[in-house]
Amino acid sequence: MSTLRLEGVEKHFGGVRVLERLDIAVESGEFLVLLGPSGCGKTTALRIISGLEEASGGRVLIDGRDVTRAAPSARGVSMVFQSYALFPHLSVAENIVFGLKVRRVARAERDRRLKRVAEMVGLADLLDRKPAQLSGGQRQRIALARAAAAEHPLCLMDEPLSNLDAKLRQEMRAEIRALQQSLGMTVVYVTHDQVEAMSMADRVVLLRDGRVEQSGPPAELYARPETTFVAQFIGVPPMNLVALADGPRGAVISGCAPGAAVLDGPGEGVLMGLRPEHVSLSETGIPARIEAVDYHGADTVVSTRIGDQRLQIRIAGHFVAPKDGEVRLAWPFEAVHLFEAESGRRADLPPKPAKGNPQCSVV
Amino acid sequence: MRKEWVTGYLLILPAAVVLAAFTHVPIVRTVHDSLFSRASAIRPSRFVGTGNFETLASDPVFWKVLGNNLAFALGTVPVSIALALVMALLVNRKIRGQGTLRLAYFLPTMLPMIAAANLWLFFYTPDIGLLDQILGAFGVSGTNWLGDPDTVMPCLIAMTVWKEAGFFMIFYLAALQTQPPELWEAAHLEGASRWVYFRRVLFPMLMPTTMFVLINAVLNAFKLVDHLFIMTKGGPNNASNLLLYYIFENAFAFNDMPAAAALTTVLLALLALLAVSQFLFLDKRVHYR
Repeated sequence: MSTLRLEGVEKHFGGVRVLERLDIAVESGEFLVLLGPSGCGKTTALRIISGLEEASGGRVLIDGRDVTRAAPSARGVSMVFQSYALFPHLSVAENIVFGLKVRRVARAERDRRLKRVAEMVGLADLLDRKPAQLSGGQRQRIALARAAAAEHPLCLMDEPLSNLDAKLRQEMRAEIRALQQSLGMTVVYVTHDQVEAMSMADRVVLLRDGRVEQSGPPAELYARPETTFVAQFIGVPPMNLVALADGPRGAVISGCAPGAAVLDGPGEGVLMGLRPEHVSLSETGIPARIEAVDYHGADTVVSTRIGDQRLQIRIAGHFVAPKDGEVRLAWPFEAVHLFEAESGRRADLPPKPAKGNPQCSVV
Repeated sequence: MRKEWVTGYLLILPAAVVLAAFTHVPIVRTVHDSLFSRASAIRPSRFVGTGNFETLASDPVFWKVLGNNLAFALGTVPVSIALALVMALLVNRKIRGQGTLRLAYFLPTMLPMIAAANLWLFFYTPDIGLLDQILGAFGVSGTNWLGDPDTVMPCLIAMTVWKEAGFFMIFYLAALQTQPPELWEAAHLEGASRWVYFRRVLFPMLMPTTMFVLINAVLNAFKLVDHLFIMTKGGPNNASNLLLYYIFENAFAFNDMPAAAALTTVLLALLALLAVSQFLFLDKRVHYR
């Protein structure tokens, strides 16, 4: 039995439809990430699960119980807010056990849980402090500890790391994941940051305009995006989408000479998806003109132009562009994704390599 | 660099001059005057030390007035603050006619005290007043609300609460609107009812406002006298007389300036004591963000 089920959940504010028939199931102990750009409805979905917002239609089930109309406190969920929502006048310890006190959990049990979670998040020495005396990361830990101390079957997190700096965010990602694993928590985590989704999730649900675009393990979303939207949302820099055109010997990159086929078959109305990290420099590859070089330290992102299409590639280390600005690019045939240009959906036909050596001259 | 302190003093000079001329010098003069006897045509004023205060201590009217003032403070301060908080909580919610309701609550504060006092004078008038007309329907009539020593103070307290609560509401309303809504959501998710949230989170968070309002309310309880001029003139038999009005009477009705100066000194000492004790005892319990 799933810990959480959303069945056809809808939400509209006035005439504006925010969520459209959302179906999500979360298994016990699973770390589910609701991912999407801002305004996609992910936070609204989370608030509907928590009960802070009421669904306009559909059902919410927690542990098999229909809680669609139940009060937030009756649902058995804890929540970590983006702003942490700590009580500034209470000490760290009082913040953590606030809910336990309200629910009249016995003192001994309260102390036991406080000790346990405080040690887990590394706040054991700071229990008497006020939140204002602590750093952003420590405040985040209080919020996590409060959610963990509740020992509810379901924990909701609303962009909990968005107020932290990059280094701390990286640390906290690992910590939240470790906490979730060791306590066996079921987590629904909302974020717009695909790195958080990729590194923490057991399963990612990618939302777009209130609908599920694709759902699956992070590796699947990366390896087999169902739409161009998913393809471009997952991965940094995003997947290249290159328009193809028909040619006598097969599909060519739009704007290239008709003979320089890159794939067998027709090219009109097809987009070729290529991840920047799968394209490499090769003596025998397709010539491309360098437009920009963006050095990141460990690697360099090079923007190139082939025909009238742009292609970003990722090269390990520090890449210095040759004087003439020309490079030759190659990619393994397995790295190619194909999408229908019109619908943006993954093309059913598997790509076939072009016969002969693909050549393309820059126009 | 060495002349920095000169610049500093020059900058605060205008404010310091005004404050000194209208506050500090008069205070010192008043304390000084309270130590001298009353001058008359045949006897000039002379130093009497604590003589004026001893006279005051043996004046039963002074003790009566002091008691009245404490009763007035105890009657108005807690009730007006509690009412202000309740009204602020009511109009802070998203309700139909929110703006009108806020205005209605604030209206008594906008009225000048003299106008408000005239209004309430009509309420309290025996037989034809609003209060008696309503009570008349239940067979009670002819109560001289402001003329009876037993009812006059409660009547004045009720009017003052009505007048002040709306003013304090504005401060609470402002404080409530800075409260992040996630705090209620977080508490609500944890199972806290509205009341528990108010008691454990909201009220403690409003403590700085309560502190500010409390000091103002206490000061007002000793500063408000306008209504006495219109409604009772301190009567009957000093039953509604307050310290400030008694000072006015001594100075300008009885023409006893030294007594008025001594009374003023007592009032100043009392207010200073209240302010200091409020800061000392309450400030530690207040959480400032």
